[in-house]
Amino acid sequence: MRKKRWVPWVLVAPALIVIILTTIYPLLAALYFSFHKYSLRKPPIFAIQIGENGIHIDWSLLSLNNYSLAFSDPRFINSLQVTFWFTVISVALSVVIGLFIAVVVQKGGMLHTLAKVLLIFPFAVSPALKGYSWRFMLNENYGIYDLIIDSLIVKPVNALLSILNALPLIEIPLLSESIVWLGDKFWALFMLAMSETWGWAPLIALMFVGALGSIDEQIFEAARIDGANRLQIFFRVTLPLLRPVILIVTMLKTIFSLKMFDQVVTMTGGGPVRATQTINYYIHQMGFVRSLDIGYASAMSYILVVVLTICAALYVSLVLNRD
Amino acid sequence: MTAKATVQRKPDFRHQSLKALETLALLLIIAFIALPIVWLAITAIKPQEKAYSTSLVFTPTLENFEIIFSDTSVIINEGTERERGEVGRDMLPNVVNSVVVSGATILIAIPLATLAAYAFSRYQFLGNRALLIWILTTQFIPAIVVAIPFFTLFRTVEVFGKPLLGSQLGLIIVNMSIVLPYAIWMIKGFVDALPGEIEEAAYVDGCNDFQILFFISLPLIRPGVLVASVFAFIMSWNEFLFALIIGREMRTMQVALMTTSGARGIMWEQMAAAGLVVMIPIFFLAMFIRKNVVDGLTMGAVK
Repeated sequence: MRKKRWVPWVLVAPALIVIILTTIYPLLAALYFSFHKYSLRKPPIFAIQIGENGIHIDWSLLSLNNYSLAFSDPRFINSLQVTFWFTVISVALSVVIGLFIAVVVQKGGMLHTLAKVLLIFPFAVSPALKGYSWRFMLNENYGIYDLIIDSLIVKPVNALLSILNALPLIEIPLLSESIVWLGDKFWALFMLAMSETWGWAPLIALMFVGALGSIDEQIFEAARIDGANRLQIFFRVTLPLLRPVILIVTMLKTIFSLKMFDQVVTMTGGGPVRATQTINYYIHQMGFVRSLDIGYASAMSYILVVVLTICAALYVSLVLNRD
Repeated sequence: MTAKATVQRKPDFRHQSLKALETLALLLIIAFIALPIVWLAITAIKPQEKAYSTSLVFTPTLENFEIIFSDTSVIINEGTERERGEVGRDMLPNVVNSVVVSGATILIAIPLATLAAYAFSRYQFLGNRALLIWILTTQFIPAIVVAIPFFTLFRTVEVFGKPLLGSQLGLIIVNMSIVLPYAIWMIKGFVDALPGEIEEAAYVDGCNDFQILFFISLPLIRPGVLVASVFAFIMSWNEFLFALIIGREMRTMQVALMTTSGARGIMWEQMAAAGLVVMIPIFFLAMFIRKNVVDGLTMGAVK
């Protein structure tokens, strides 16, 4: 083919330089900061100093203090737990609901098509706006979600329970009709994950719809002729065939969930009582809002980088081993 | 005869109830996806006194849009009983910031990405595959790690006498870190799909590499480049963390959403109106690239 060896490098170089400057530089700089005592309140003293008589390194200024501080900081440990649970709930819900949506909307038909068109809509809603709109709709006084949950779930369940309770067998406590969704530690985290699910389940469904479409229809036909019912076909045929895609999507969503930040700011503000302070949110608080401690913020973000690097390695191996 | 009829009715009934179940599921899915968007749109055109209820009986109004776009110092409806939100929000500069930052981001990122994507697709060079995968993994770097050093750097760097921190240029620079990798992967997908024969023929006819790239390949992948541009525009338009930390007082619309809160909490009717302004252009753009969003988000990993 074409011979000039330098041509691709000329083409790649500009983009590569910009990527290196905007990713490698900050990664190195944040690592360097993380070993320092570095507050925004006063100019930092860095260990490496370039003076008139060459480069001088003051080793006494470097330490792992920020890292040991992190692991003894109950609020950081809390943010790890919050992030873990947020990730587990949002990934599980997004993938399961996404799969459900994909299987339902896959076929032709007017409602199917309408639903399929709608799948792209949450992508247009920015995470920040998503957070605000959910916060509004969950309001205990005038929120539409609050109304729907109360009238479609709580009231019918309570009606059923009071009938059961009327029988002199057992006494089951009724569900509360006045839950302040974002004021309750469990519900706030759950609803945060639900807002994330609202944004992602449709997109994940789109991914699955594409994957389902590429499966040969004859496979399903054969299963039907062999007498398999819908559930059997789903669990024995569809799921195993989708397995590679499900794994990739799950890993990808896990990575996005671990990095989640925007909605915490606009939906819960980390509350109530730090119940929704994810790692990113806590780092932002410590680095830019409260302590202005850049060294500590850098160290904590590096812990997140390590976690994400492991996830990224898993993701890449999943993608590469697919074929 | 009777036996046959009962045999037939049973699966028929099952079929019917399955159909009904499916329709119910579809309606639930549609409601689940559409409700937050519809509710936001309804709230945006509600008069203030109705915004804080689930009532659907109201006279639609554009008052909320008027408030968010009118000058901060102008008092609307002076002398009425309204206490909340009499003051304009002056969000026009925020819209301009969003447009300028997102527009400039793609104007810089897309040409760079196109050249790189073309090279990755059409040339074998040392380490090209490893490099491509490395670019893929840069999307997993948490944005906060990128934001911290750029925050401290931009505090001290001045361009034309203005610090980069809190400037449009500063935000455009950090946006590159998220937009470029996606754009490269997306455009590479389009170049990959293009048959190479035309280029080969041009090469045999004596065109050099750059003539082929600019006069033959680029015109052919233009639709793909457009799709990638739209995707990149949406990404930087919806970006929040950089806008908050690096953009600072130069608020993009995403950050300006936060300014709808006042002494008594968030003024939801204004937030909804501002939300619609943020959302509607992206709606049309998203519809336009509907078929490519999945490829973009997953960088082609799910096909």
